[in-house]
Amino acid sequence: MDINLNDLLRKYKSHPYEDHKIDAPHTGLVFFKVRDGQEVAGPSGQWLQKPGTLLYILERENNPKRMYSAFTGRVAGLRAGLEGSFVQAGEQLLTIQHRLNRDEIIDRILRDVLQVFRAPQRARYFFTPETVTFLEKKTDKGLPIAPGDEIIIMSLMKRDSFLPYEGAPGIIYKVYFQQGDLVEQDSPLFGVCPPEKLPFVQKVIQRIRTEWDD
Amino acid sequence: MDKKRILIANRGEIAIRIMNACKELGLDYAVVYTVQDSKSMHVRKAVEEKGSGAAYRISNYKDPNEIFSVADHAGAHAIHPGYGFFSENFRFARRAALRNRPIIFIGPRWEVIRDLGSKINTKRIAKKLRIPVIPGSDEPLYSEIEAEALAEKLFYKQKKDGIEKPSILVKASAGGGGMGIEEVTHLDTFRQIYRRIQNYAKRQFGDEGVLIEQCMRDYHHLEVQLLCSQHKEIVHFGTRNCTIQSTGRQKRVEAAPGFDPDYTDYPFDARKVLNRMVKYSVQLASKVNYDNVGTWEWIVTRDGQPYLLEVNTRIQVENEVSARISRISKHKTPVNLIKEQIRVAFGERLKYRQKHISFRGTSIELRIVAEDVKRGFAPWCGKITRFYFPEKPWVRLYSQVPQDEPYEIPTEYDPNLALAIIWGRNTEQARERARDFLARADIQGEDSRGEPIVTNLEYLMDRLDDVLKF
Repeated sequence: MDINLNDLLRKYKSHPYEDHKIDAPHTGLVFFKVRDGQEVAGPSGQWLQKPGTLLYILERENNPKRMYSAFTGRVAGLRAGLEGSFVQAGEQLLTIQHRLNRDEIIDRILRDVLQVFRAPQRARYFFTPETVTFLEKKTDKGLPIAPGDEIIIMSLMKRDSFLPYEGAPGIIYKVYFQQGDLVEQDSPLFGVCPPEKLPFVQKVIQRIRTEWDD
Repeated sequence: MDKKRILIANRGEIAIRIMNACKELGLDYAVVYTVQDSKSMHVRKAVEEKGSGAAYRISNYKDPNEIFSVADHAGAHAIHPGYGFFSENFRFARRAALRNRPIIFIGPRWEVIRDLGSKINTKRIAKKLRIPVIPGSDEPLYSEIEAEALAEKLFYKQKKDGIEKPSILVKASAGGGGMGIEEVTHLDTFRQIYRRIQNYAKRQFGDEGVLIEQCMRDYHHLEVQLLCSQHKEIVHFGTRNCTIQSTGRQKRVEAAPGFDPDYTDYPFDARKVLNRMVKYSVQLASKVNYDNVGTWEWIVTRDGQPYLLEVNTRIQVENEVSARISRISKHKTPVNLIKEQIRVAFGERLKYRQKHISFRGTSIELRIVAEDVKRGFAPWCGKITRFYFPEKPWVRLYSQVPQDEPYEIPTEYDPNLALAIIWGRNTEQARERARDFLARADIQGEDSRGEPIVTNLEYLMDRLDDVLKF
């Protein structure tokens, strides 16, 4: 694998942030519960069962929905002028500047290391029911995959089609989407690691774990 | 109805047709759209005619909370669901009627949608009235063993009836509009297809119930257009023929009337068959106190036997093909069924009877779609850079695609580009006009790999010779 791990690590160390725009997921009246510059927390607990900081309440059809932060970081660009008003779906409400943690850095770097199978079209994607069953078992072995295997269903314009896997055989090491997600064209669906490269991938992970301070 | 506001809970060309109907009735309206549809003409037209406050961006056309939330904010008195989405969802219609701030649902009352929205229930009611229906299951099947037993029975029956190549259809019970249907020609492939449809139904509709019925071959797909009021008035606007469909059973060319014995020969008395279908449809509508527009879908086999398929309790894409040939005496222009639908939903009387309705000429509807006919009608997505159709007094064109700027086809929805409804004083003239229209149409564009756009214009041209012919 032709990657320069030092360069990658240097890149992330110089700017270890990602901006997450927070948009209204649907229509409703918005009531903010944070202010600009405030530090917020993402979900926590062993199973991430504790919600993050309450960002705002979106009330639709008299149902108040409490919207929590999915990221740890700092609130920026809060649109205080929208307080108490009806917002449309997709309206940007605020931004969270999030500092990447060690696992996220591993995740980003693995996208460069693994053989990534990308979405050929902007569409909704599903694993086949058999694949879901296998992945749910969470075995240590990972799901083996070979060229031509049809493990992904692309649902485009209400039509389902099976996508044959193209790439080197290996095991599915990382999945980048949830069942039924709308995935943009060329976004990663899953990353495959050929068996002989497995020690290298594990070495990458080990090195980041050692060198990156959260 | 003065000063009433309608929320149009749909997209694309049907939203545009509903806007036009509202305008003609002097009603105000608002529309919804998703971010993928920002460039749709239905949004631009609403903003141009009613201002930016008339278009609301929502997360999803299929989220009822979004629709009701916008309806309240926009101060809408009624919701027009168009076709698809909530148009045949009785829970949505019931919620509209029973909420604290009731809103008129422009469609039949919810109990009717519930009773006729289910193909199975419709079949049961029809059987009681001795209306012919297709042999098969009359309840959704969830057990593979039961389904396989019925499949075997249907194959056996067809062999006994002397059918050379028997086959059955496996359908998603909650589906509609031709989606989620597959044919089984050999019993040993049944299980695999059954499972595929079951999975599809679960993914798309959240209900894995499956229907099985005998697959009829060599038939025509016909429809009867009814309009009923809340005052027990029932009229029909004749029949239409929707036989020309894609391999996925999506209609592509429709014509009205349903058969034209002056144009071509039929192996049965066509007028008698059409009259039978109309009579049965009115009988069923009367039985359930139907109270809005509705379509009774039929198939007619070569021996002239009609079978009721289902009732579509909504306005259909192809409504205007029937409306275009229908006249109400003293009215200067052809009928606008969407206007009529809105009027009756507000409780108005029809103000005319069947004897006042006459039919003139033939109408043909062409559904222009970005799809690769040679690859099983695979949908095409990409950017349209030129979208031109000739303007003629005998054609009406409806489209959400702008003609003055590039347009990216949203991948979330079907790649339907336009509907053209063509009228002629007889079938020959309508067919020739349709041919002329298609020959002058020009659609250009390319996909993300730079490949040119693929549409079904050539296919539509090829199929014009088949219109109304058995």
